[in-house]
Parts: sequence; C-alpha cells; structure tokens
Amino acid sequence: MTLALDILLALGLLWLGWQVVSGRALFRSIVMLIVLGLLMAVVWSRLGAPDLALAEAAVGAAVTGAMLLLAYRRIIELRPERAHQSLLRRSRLAAPLALLCGALVMGLGFELLKLSSPADSAGAAALAAMQQSELSNPVTGVLLLFRGYDTLLEMGVLLAAWLGVKMVQPAERQELPVSRTPLPTYLTDALLAVVIPGVVLVAGYLLHAGGSAPGGAFQAGAVLAGAGVLLALTGRLRPTPEPSQLQRIALALGVVTFAAIASVGPLFGKPVMWLPEGWALYVIEGAMTISIALCLLLLFISAGGVQRREP
Amino acid sequence: MSWQDWASGVLLLLGCGFYLAGTLGMLRFPDALSRLHALTKTDNLGLMLVCAALAVRAESLRIATLLGVVWLLGITASTVSAHLIARYARRSKEAEP
Repeated sequence: MTLALDILLALGLLWLGWQVVSGRALFRSIVMLIVLGLLMAVVWSRLGAPDLALAEAAVGAAVTGAMLLLAYRRIIELRPERAHQSLLRRSRLAAPLALLCGALVMGLGFELLKLSSPADSAGAAALAAMQQSELSNPVTGVLLLFRGYDTLLEMGVLLAAWLGVKMVQPAERQELPVSRTPLPTYLTDALLAVVIPGVVLVAGYLLHAGGSAPGGAFQAGAVLAGAGVLLALTGRLRPTPEPSQLQRIALALGVVTFAAIASVGPLFGKPVMWLPEGWALYVIEGAMTISIALCLLLLFISAGGVQRREP
Repeated sequence: MSWQDWASGVLLLLGCGFYLAGTLGMLRFPDALSRLHALTKTDNLGLMLVCAALAVRAESLRIATLLGVVWLLGITASTVSAHLIARYARRSKEAEP
C-alpha cells in the first residue's frame, strides 16, 4: 500500500516536471510548478524530512508561486501576445540529452545503492555532539552549530538578492499590479482579521518549535512573509523605492546578529562561529526570522522598501 | 476491524467521492462560475469528510481538534478565494461586450 503511494508520488513528480517544461502556455507552466512544489513537500515528508517539507511548501510552492504569478500578470500587461505563445523550442538534441542525463542519474543511483555507509560518518558524530547541547532537533543543530557558515552565508545571499532587486528597479516606477488598490470587499477584511493574527501565531510557534521539532527561522520567516504577501495583494501595503530606517535595520538584523554572536568565541578561547548555548540560539533565530520575512516580502513586491497604504 | 476503522473507511470513501465529483465538475463545466460552484461545494464537504475520517482514527483528542481547525482554515480560505474569483469573472464578463 505504501509502496503504491510512493510509486504514485514519483510518477506524479515526473509527470508534473514534464508538464512544467513542455510549456503549452506560460500560465499553465506556472500553475504546474506550484503543484509540483506542493507534491514535492508531500514527498519530503514521506522521506522523513518534515523540515524540508515545510520549507518547500512555504518557499518553493507558496512564495515563489505567488511571485511567478505576479510576474506573469506583468508580462501579459506589457505583451498580451505572450499568453498564448508556446515556450517550447524543439531541438534535435533534446531527446538524446534527456536520455543521457536519465542514464547518468540511474547509473549513479545504482552505484550509490551498492555503497555501504561508512562507519565514522559526520552524521553520527553530529548526533552524538547534539546530546551535549540544549537543542534536540538535529536539523536546527546542523544549521546553527555545525554548519553555521552555510546559514550565515545563506542570509548574505538573501540580502544580496534584495540589493539586486533594489538596484534594477526602475527610477520612474510604473504602477505594479501590487501597487494598485483593489476594490475593498468585506470578505477580504474579515479574512485578514482572522488570518493575520493566526499567521503571526504560527510563525512564532514554528520559531519556538525549531529547537526540538521541525521548524525554525526559515520556515517561520517564510510564513511571516506570506502574511506580508497577503497584505500587499489586498492593497494594505505598497512598494517604495527606498526602505525606511527601521526596514534597513530589519533587513541586516539576521546577518549582523549572527555574525556578532558568532565572533565572540575568541574572547572565551573558543573558535570563531562558536555559539553560546540557549538564549543566543533563540536570539539568532529570531533575528534571522525577521530578516528572512522582510527580504522575501520585498523580493515579492520587487521593491526597495514597503509602506503602509493609508485607506 | 474495529468500528473506528469502518467509520473512517466509509467517511474517507464519501470524501473521495466528493473530491472526484468536484474535480470532474471543474474539468467539464463550461464557465468560471459553474466551475466554482462545483469546486467550492464539493471541496468543502470533501475536506470535512476526510478530516472527520482522520479524526475518528486520531490517537488523541488534540489531533482530532487540530484536524477540525484544518477544515475551518480550509473553508475560510476557499470561501474568500472563490468569492474573489467569482467577482473577477463577473467583472471581466461585464467589461467584454
């Protein structure tokens, strides 16, 4: 029964992937990509990686999907003929290349299956070291304690992406789909009143749970960004070319906090990136959540800053 | 098999039936409004039946309650999005001729 489910999921992924790239129409490809992200999240949770499933659903399907849909609307406004154009460029190289890649992946996978796992892998050592720390979620442990550089650099990448968006935004901004006020409805007001506090609660829970269960800064940040996206789409927020002082601080908060706390190690005779236990981890995760949420929101509305729109 | 298994099996099958009908309606109905009609009605009931089926089998009352919350969130989101889509569809229909 579970095998049948796994096979169905695998075939579904392959079919959806094909639908995304076969591109009969741009809109269809975007929708298929969102569905692919959702199915991918199911696959990750089947593989026993709920952290990845959460991140995939929040970032891969929801935020990226909303971003792509917004970009699509913009493209259609500028060039309406693109709606019905097929993006597929037929090439004689495509089939042999696909077969070659498929054979390569199959071959590598087959070889990997034959390998026995080494006796002294880093995973076992990390799990053993986790016993001494206050964290009980190995994923958060790896992200913060053992591979801190990676996480710090990821925050840097997000910041760089925002800088890139800020640099390429036009000096004279045409009205973006987001910046137009949609007509008010009572239903969206009611939805926002119910959903926004709930989203903040869920983000706080994910952040808190990250120490011992699936969750953490990235998931919490993505969920918070989702609330921002909802507010932007319903016309409560509007893009501005420059971030306010507070937003500047919030954007840099993750990198700065992490780097500052990670560099106190030498004072105590420990290496750089050594993190004091307990409170420091929560401070870093909290700061990263705020930066991630604001970064993703600004990437979504492709603007330097964001401002509340007065009704 | 215990009565929980039977009850949840029946509920699951009913829920899947609703999902099937809704999908069929969405694929076969001619215009946006009737598609929405098929989708929202059957989707909500389908989700409720599936959640109820899982709640019957749930290990604790907490999980059963959480499934109820999932259903509530689902119908809240689908109500509003269906309303917005319907409004957009009507507007673009009025603008056309």
